[in-house]
Amino acid sequence: MASVASVTPAARSASAATTTTSRPPLGKGIRLTLFYLLLLVIAAVFITPYLFSAFAAFKTLPEILAQSPARPPTNPTWDNFKTIFTQYDFGRYLLNTLIVTVILTAGQVTFSMMGAYAFARMEFPGRDGLFWMYLATLMVPNVVTMVPLYVMFAHSGLLNTYWAIFLPYVLGVPASVFLMRQYFMTIPKEVMEAARLDGCSESRILWRIVVPISRPIIITATLLAVVFGWNNFLWPLIVTNSNALQVLPVATANLNSNFNSQWNLVLAGSLVALIPMVILFAIFQKYIVRSISLTGINR
Amino acid sequence: MSVAAATTVIGKHRTTAVTSNPDRRRRVRTAFLFLTPSLIGVVLFLVIPVIFVMVLSLTRWNLLTPIKWVGFSNYANIFRFDGFGHSLLVTAYYVLLNIPVQTVLALGLALLLNSKRTGSALIRVICVLPFLATPVAMGVVWNWFFSPTGMINQFLAHLGITGPAWLSDQATAMPVIAFANIWQYAGYNMLFFLAGLQAIPLSLYEAASIDGGSKIQQFRRVTLPLLRPALMFVLVTGVIGSFQVFDTVYVMTAGGPGNATKVANLNIYNTAFAGFRIGEASAMSVVLFLIILVVAIGQFTYFNRRTTYEIA
Amino acid sequence: MNAHRPRRSSLRWFSPRPARTLVRVAIAAIALTLLSGCAEWGFGGSGSANGTVTLVYSLWDTHEQVGYQQSINVFEKMHPDIKVDIEEIPYGSYQQKVTAEFITGQAPDLFWVNTPWLGSFVKNGMLTNLTPLIQASHINMAQYYPQLVALHSVGPKIYGLPKDWDTIALYYNKAYFNKLHLAIPANLSWNANGTGSFVTFLKAATTDKSGHNALSPQFNPNQVATYALGVSNDPQSGWGNYTAQAGGKIIPYPYAPVASLTTPQVNVGMSFLADTLTNAHVIVPGALSGPNANGNNLEQMFSQGQVAMWENGDWNTLAVKTSVTFPVGVATLPIGPVGRVSVFNGLIDGLNSHTKYPKQAWELEQWLGSPQSQAILGSGGYVWPAIRSLDPLFLKYWAKNGIDMSAFLTEAHGQVVNFPVSPGVGDALTEVVNDLGPAWLGTEPTHQALKTAQTDANYILRTS
Repeated sequence: MASVASVTPAARSASAATTTTSRPPLGKGIRLTLFYLLLLVIAAVFITPYLFSAFAAFKTLPEILAQSPARPPTNPTWDNFKTIFTQYDFGRYLLNTLIVTVILTAGQVTFSMMGAYAFARMEFPGRDGLFWMYLATLMVPNVVTMVPLYVMFAHSGLLNTYWAIFLPYVLGVPASVFLMRQYFMTIPKEVMEAARLDGCSESRILWRIVVPISRPIIITATLLAVVFGWNNFLWPLIVTNSNALQVLPVATANLNSNFNSQWNLVLAGSLVALIPMVILFAIFQKYIVRSISLTGINR
Repeated sequence: MSVAAATTVIGKHRTTAVTSNPDRRRRVRTAFLFLTPSLIGVVLFLVIPVIFVMVLSLTRWNLLTPIKWVGFSNYANIFRFDGFGHSLLVTAYYVLLNIPVQTVLALGLALLLNSKRTGSALIRVICVLPFLATPVAMGVVWNWFFSPTGMINQFLAHLGITGPAWLSDQATAMPVIAFANIWQYAGYNMLFFLAGLQAIPLSLYEAASIDGGSKIQQFRRVTLPLLRPALMFVLVTGVIGSFQVFDTVYVMTAGGPGNATKVANLNIYNTAFAGFRIGEASAMSVVLFLIILVVAIGQFTYFNRRTTYEIA
Repeated sequence: MNAHRPRRSSLRWFSPRPARTLVRVAIAAIALTLLSGCAEWGFGGSGSANGTVTLVYSLWDTHEQVGYQQSINVFEKMHPDIKVDIEEIPYGSYQQKVTAEFITGQAPDLFWVNTPWLGSFVKNGMLTNLTPLIQASHINMAQYYPQLVALHSVGPKIYGLPKDWDTIALYYNKAYFNKLHLAIPANLSWNANGTGSFVTFLKAATTDKSGHNALSPQFNPNQVATYALGVSNDPQSGWGNYTAQAGGKIIPYPYAPVASLTTPQVNVGMSFLADTLTNAHVIVPGALSGPNANGNNLEQMFSQGQVAMWENGDWNTLAVKTSVTFPVGVATLPIGPVGRVSVFNGLIDGLNSHTKYPKQAWELEQWLGSPQSQAILGSGGYVWPAIRSLDPLFLKYWAKNGIDMSAFLTEAHGQVVNFPVSPGVGDALTEVVNDLGPAWLGTEPTHQALKTAQTDANYILRTS
C-alpha cells in the first residue's frame, strides 16, 4: 500500500470504530458525555504533572509542604529559579545543553539526510547490503555500546568535553536515516531521473529539489533529534564528571540527590529542563502528527 | 519548486542520451560521499563497540591497571556475585508490567481519539506532551507525587485509604516506575496506532457491517489485523526500550528498596562506572544484548507470519 | 501529490549550496574546539595565571572543612604564589568521583584518602610515593603514631603524611547511669564463652519499661525501654573491634587478595554480639538498629535515651554534642580474650601522581602534615592530630565543651589494629556487611553468614 495515499487522513476512516449502520439513537447523549468525560480525564492525567510542578516551582518550600499541589501559588516567587541560576549554575547547564543539542541536531539531521537520500534514490554498488547493515544496527541497544564507547573515548582523551557528549550521534544515526529514507522513497523516481538527465549534480538534486519538498519529515527528524539531545541522560552522565560540563538532565539528577527534600529547588530545576521542549512542541506540533502518517509505518 | 513544476521545467531540456559512464561514476562517488558521515558514525560508534564489548567481556580491567585476560569466567561471575540474574528478572518484571499496559492504553487512546469531534485534536496533541519530558526531570516530579506525604497519598487519604510508601515499599516500587514510563510513552505510541487506523479504508468497515458484523466483530476482523504493522512496531520498539530502562530508576529509586528495582542497565552502570569493573560490565552488556536480540527476533517472526500488509 | 507542494517563501534557508555548508561546518568545528578548550571557563580546575598556581584540594566533611580552611589561609599567607581551592565531594560517591576524574586526567592535586580505598588508589597508580620527598625535606616521621605510618605504607613507600587518627569507644548517657546509681567499671571484660564482667554490667544497665534491669527475673525482654549497648554491623565502628579483641583479622595481612572471616577468632567476636548479647537482650537488636543492622538509627536512639552506650568513632563527637540534651561521657571498649583492642584508622592527603604542579602540591602536603597545621585542626576540635605530642590540644577543646575524650586516647596508646588495607577492600566490606545482616537479624547462623561473606569478599579482593 503506497503511503502517499495515507497522506490526507481526513479522507480515510475518520472514526474507525464507528460505522454507518444500525446504532441505537438513544445512547448518543450518554456516549457523548462519556466521551468528553474520558477526554477530560486523559487531559488531566497528562497535564497535571507539568502543571503542578510548575505551580510548585513558584512556591516557597513551606508553601509546598502545607498546601495542596493543585493550588496555584498565591504569591508566586522567582526565588527558586534565582537560587538555582545564581547559586547552582543552572544558567551554565542550560547553555551546555543548548550547545550540545544544537550541534548534535545539525549534524545528525544533515548527515542522516544525505545518507537517506543515497539509499533511497541513488544507485551504487553494495547499496542494499549497506542498508541492511544500517537496519541491523537499529537492533543494537544503547546499553551495549555504553561501556566500549567510554573506553574508546577515555583512550582518545576526549572524556569530559563537549565532543564526548554529542560525537556518537552527530554523524548521523540509523534511525534517522531509516526515517528519512522511507519518506524519500515516496518521491517519484522520475523527478530525480529528469533532473539527472538535465545535468543536475546529485548535490543539487538533494538540496534544491528533495529537501524543499521534504520539509515535514526533516522537521520531524529535527524535532526527534532535539528531543533526544535535550533529554539524553545516561551517556552525558558517564562521559562528563566536572560540574561545569553538566547538561540539564545530569544537573537535575544531581540537584535531586543533593537537595532531595527541598522540593521547591528540585522542581524548579526540573521545570527548566521540561519547559523548552514544551514550547518547541507547541510551535511544531502539527508536523509531528502529520509526518507519522507519511512514513509508511503501516507498510 | 513543486514537484510537478520541476518535472515539466526540467523535462523541457531533456537530451537524447540517457546516462554516460563518467557521469555515472561521478554519481556513484557522490553517493559514497553522501554516505560517508553516517557510515563512519555507524561503524565507529555502533559496529566497532559491539565487537569491542565482546572482547572486553573476556577481560578483567579497571582502565588504570594492565588488562588481564580471564576467558569466560566473567559470564559465570556476574550471575554468582554481581546479582545479574536478579537484575534480569527485575527487568523482565518491568517489561511485563510496562509493555502490555502501555500498548493497550496507546491503542485505546488511538481508538478513542481517532474522531472528528471537537476537542479530539487538542487531546491528541496533549497526549504527546509527556513524550517530550526529560525522564530524569519527570522522575523528580514523580518522586514528589509519590512521596509518603505527596499528592497521591493525600488524595488517597481523602478516600480514607492510607497509601503505602510507594518508592520505599518493595511491592509498589517497580509498578510506580512502570507507571512513570507508561505515562511518558503511551501518547507517543498512540500516534503510530492512529496512523495505522487512519490508513484503513472506510470501505472495509462498510463491507463488514453489510455482512452483518457487530462493532466488536469489525474490530477483531478488520481493525486488529490491519493494525498489525503498527502493533509490531510499537511492541518491538517498546520492548527493546524497556529492557534498557535507566533514567527513571536512577533518579527515583537508585535500584532500591533493597534490590527490588535494580534493573540490568543500572547494574551495568554501577559495575562499570562506580566499580570500574569493565570486564564484568561488558559481560553483562553482552548477555543483555543477546536477550534483547532473541526477544526482538521472536517478535519479528511471530508477526511476520501473521501480518497483512496489502489491503487492495 | 498535493502534499509535496512546498510553500516557496519559507524555504530559502533550506537549500544552501554544498560549499556554503562546508564553510558552515568548518566554522562550527572551529568554534567547538575553542569551546571545548574553555569548557572549564573559570569554574575551578587547577591552573596558573601570572605566576600564581591554583591547586585543587578535595575532601568530604563539611564541618572539618572549616578547620582546613583556617589552616589553608595560613598556608596561603606563607606561600603567596599558591592558591588552594577546596572542593567538597559527598562521601558516598567520593571514591568513584576521584577515580573517574583521574581517568579523565582532571583529578584534584591533593585529595583526602580513606583506608577503604587506599589500596585501590595505590594499585591504580593514582598516588605519589612520598618517601624520596620526605627524605629530601628531612621530615621526622617519628613524630607520628607508628601505626599510622604503617597503615599508609607499602614496604618502604609511603603515600601520604599522616594527619589524623580515630579510635572507637563508648559514648554513654551520664544522666541515665546516675539515675541507676551505676558507675562504669574501668576494666570490663568478656570471655570467648560469653561470660565475664562486661555481660553482667550490660545486664545491669538494661532496663525494661517497668524499671526492671536484665539481671532481674521480672525483666521483660519484649518491653525494653533502654538497651545497654548499641553496636552497628560495621567493620570499623562495630563488630570489627570485637573480632579484633578475640584475636581475629578481617584480612590476614595488608594488601591480601583474600579475607579471613571464617577463622574461629572472628567467629567468636561476631557471635558474641550477634548471638550472646542479642539473646541476652542487652544490645539493640539488628532489626531496630537500621537496614541490615547497620546502626543508622543508633544515634537517634541514643539521643532519645533508648540506648545507654553508643559505640562509635570519635568523628561523631560534634553530632553527639549538638543532638543530645544530657551530659555525655566516653568509656573505653571492654577487654576481650586477647585484650582491649580498638580499630585504628586515619586519613591522608593523597598527592595526585599526575598533578601538573608537583612542587606546589608537595608544599601543601608538607604543610598539612606539619605540627603547625595539625595544631590548628586539633585545637579547633576537628580531629585528633596524627602528631602524638599534639593530642592534648584536641582533648582540651572537648574538655572545655563538656566531653571527656580521654577514653579514645587511652585506646590509641594501647592495643590497636589497623583498618584493613587492600585493593577493593571497601567494596568487599560493603558486601560483607550485607551478608552479615541475616546473622544480626537472627535469620541465619553466624558462622553461615560469615562463610557467605568470606566467599563474596574473596571474589572482590581477588578481582580488584
